[in-house]
Amino acid sequence: MRITIFGIASATAPRAVVLTAAATLLATTIRVRAESAPDQIDLSKFPAAAVQDVVVPVPSEVFNVLDKLGSPNWKGELRESLGKNSGNRAQVALLLGTVIAEGFIAVEAEDSERVKEIGRDVLDLSRAVGVEKAVVSRSKAIVDKADSRDWAGARRELDGALQDVRGAMNELNDEDLAQLVSLGGWVRGTEVLTSIVQKDYKPQRAELLHQPELLNYFDRRLDGMSPRLRKSGLVAQLKTMLDEIRPLIIEGEGRKISPQSVDRIHTVTSQMVLTITSSDA
Amino acid sequence: MKIRLLPAAIILLVLPLVLRATVDDALSFAYEAATPYVKQGYTFREDAWGGDLGVGDQKAVTAQLFRGNGYWFCLGTDADDATLTVHVYDSKGKLAESQNWQKGRFAAVLVNPKQTGTYYAIVEVKKSSQERTPWALVYGYR
Repeated sequence: MRITIFGIASATAPRAVVLTAAATLLATTIRVRAESAPDQIDLSKFPAAAVQDVVVPVPSEVFNVLDKLGSPNWKGELRESLGKNSGNRAQVALLLGTVIAEGFIAVEAEDSERVKEIGRDVLDLSRAVGVEKAVVSRSKAIVDKADSRDWAGARRELDGALQDVRGAMNELNDEDLAQLVSLGGWVRGTEVLTSIVQKDYKPQRAELLHQPELLNYFDRRLDGMSPRLRKSGLVAQLKTMLDEIRPLIIEGEGRKISPQSVDRIHTVTSQMVLTITSSDA
Repeated sequence: MKIRLLPAAIILLVLPLVLRATVDDALSFAYEAATPYVKQGYTFREDAWGGDLGVGDQKAVTAQLFRGNGYWFCLGTDADDATLTVHVYDSKGKLAESQNWQKGRFAAVLVNPKQTGTYYAIVEVKKSSQERTPWALVYGYR
């Protein structure tokens, strides 16, 4: 479990052991309606130091809405190959993110064999970047949940694996790699979202791409990476991809994300996933 | 000189660990506040926000929310005499929550986003005997 303190992703928090007692306590608590909050505030009055960065959503937050809007063919969205480890740490971090995102798709598809394969792959890739210990139990839990077809549990474990990997990387002062894990997951999640929207375009589905602050956040993180990483082909391609997507996801004042924009975002995210998953990345 | 600097250096080394511990404790209370909603089928993220604030201070945390989901944001602190609040606003600064409650060290809000986009949860310490009150905020979706 990762928690962001002062905007710095850092600590690994132990899970509370008091949840059961808490349920009882809260069930018996008479809830007091909070004092009324102002209907409108001026967000520009918050200095940068008083604003904490966005928590990157997991793919299942978007997939949950897609499920409510129709019945996507999740099996059809699964990739045949999870990709190859090139030995380049940046590539492995991005690949790890795409593999965890693939896990969320496999859960939607209720494909237990695929989820189990992904659980094992998460462990292999974590070993390649020196954070294996952090995900041993998660990897096992993903496999166990898939075996028992506990899909809600599998989702929780995939989210936990993501946070554990990133937390372990942060503890090793590999914050840049931790960000690449998040970005890899976002790219693969967005590729699948656009694939589904392409197949049955509806404005409310396309609206799920409206993620302006998240893109700005990724951009800031890429800009803050070490000069060595910034010069690497993968990070440069990620920057180019974000620059291309940013104007396409603007909504509001009557403007909707068009089918053409969805197509373009799908093309650039698919190209990025191909680059990440190829062994010569 | 070196001897004088040593205690300061130790404090600087230990302070983040102490802070981390208290924020981790606050996180436990945030998950306590979330427990009823887990039972209602909300999936709570393992990722979270946290820090510490003085009385009257506010922090805005940024969240990407998707129309079609419902979200509970649950706030907690380990400071037993503290009163904290959380309220959620859209990117134009308009109050976006459909339910909220506050009970001492716990507070929570329900958001059913009218649009997909960026939202801001404003965390505030209303009352506390501590100079700096640790807090943690978690969210779940359904």
